[in-house]
Amino acid sequence: MSDDSLPLALPLPRWVDGTSEVTSLYRELRKPLLRYLVCLGLSSDEAQDIIQDAFLRLQRHLASGGAQENIRGWLFRVAHNQARNAQTTYHRRFAKPLDGEMDFLAEQATPEQAVLEREKFRRLASAIRELAELERECLLLRAEGLRYREIAEVLGLATSTVGDTLERAIRKLAEKCNV
Amino acid sequence: MCELQPKLLAWFDGELAPDEAAAVERHVAACEDCRVQSAAFRKTSQAFNLYCDAVLSTHAKPKIPRWIPALAGAAGLAAAALLLAFARTRVQQPPPAPAPVAALNALPVSVPQPAPRKTLHRKHATPPVPRQVQQWQPVETVEIAIPAEAMFAPGALPEGLKFFADMSIAPDGSVRQVRLRQ
Repeated sequence: MSDDSLPLALPLPRWVDGTSEVTSLYRELRKPLLRYLVCLGLSSDEAQDIIQDAFLRLQRHLASGGAQENIRGWLFRVAHNQARNAQTTYHRRFAKPLDGEMDFLAEQATPEQAVLEREKFRRLASAIRELAELERECLLLRAEGLRYREIAEVLGLATSTVGDTLERAIRKLAEKCNV
Repeated sequence: MCELQPKLLAWFDGELAPDEAAAVERHVAACEDCRVQSAAFRKTSQAFNLYCDAVLSTHAKPKIPRWIPALAGAAGLAAAALLLAFARTRVQQPPPAPAPVAALNALPVSVPQPAPRKTLHRKHATPPVPRQVQQWQPVETVEIAIPAEAMFAPGALPEGLKFFADMSIAPDGSVRQVRLRQ
């Protein structure tokens, strides 16, 4: 029986409850956090260290009676700030073209289709490279399923600014990729 | 451009209040431009998502989970059995290392030099004992690929994980050392 299937009515001490919550959050959010951090330009090892640290902080945060609202935004904000501190070559890796690394495209039905897809990805990569840093961050957080108010919290912006930034960014990508 | 277009993405993302969303939805049903634009948002979002996946799969190598070393014994035993079955007869005593003449010549005089050769003519002179090789050196490398499925339960290993077991086999066939590396 997994921790999160314990009935909520059990008179568990607070820290047990917190541990169970952190475990299920870890299962749910580890991959989105990893993808976000790697796309920001961190190495896999750096990203995994930051994620572990963020969840340890979350456990302490919950154990000390911290706010339980919007935990997802809280985790992304902690990870984002850590990534900012850690990285020296921001967005370098994310903006690098993925030449020869899109092997999964080779599984397209015909070679012509594969070439077309590859070309589309190249255009997208180039368009992403030309985005402003904030636009890219907003798009990345949106791709991980964060709501606008959560993105606003992670990046320290107004929710309306997030909406405008996203709209501008995705319009740029759509225009440059001719979709 | 249609005046509702700035709200199109927020509507597409489900970020509008219900009454506002209903208004945009009615408009999109009637406006060709907005339908085209929201289809473009959908395609671009999907492509961006795929791109993120590609970045992740390109740059994120799975770390060896902490429980893998506990299975090193099993991997070692299987590899040892195979090595012994196929390679035992080929394991030979390595030749003695050549005398480091140049190194000896370069040493300072205070280092004891080998006795002069003439002492060997003495009666009962002890014949020179061949130098024992103190440290065993690997003779050859035998590479054997064992599919992960043959050793671990399905799904026990992350997909695409590969690791090598470096094993040192002593001349008597015993395993000296097993080391896992990725």
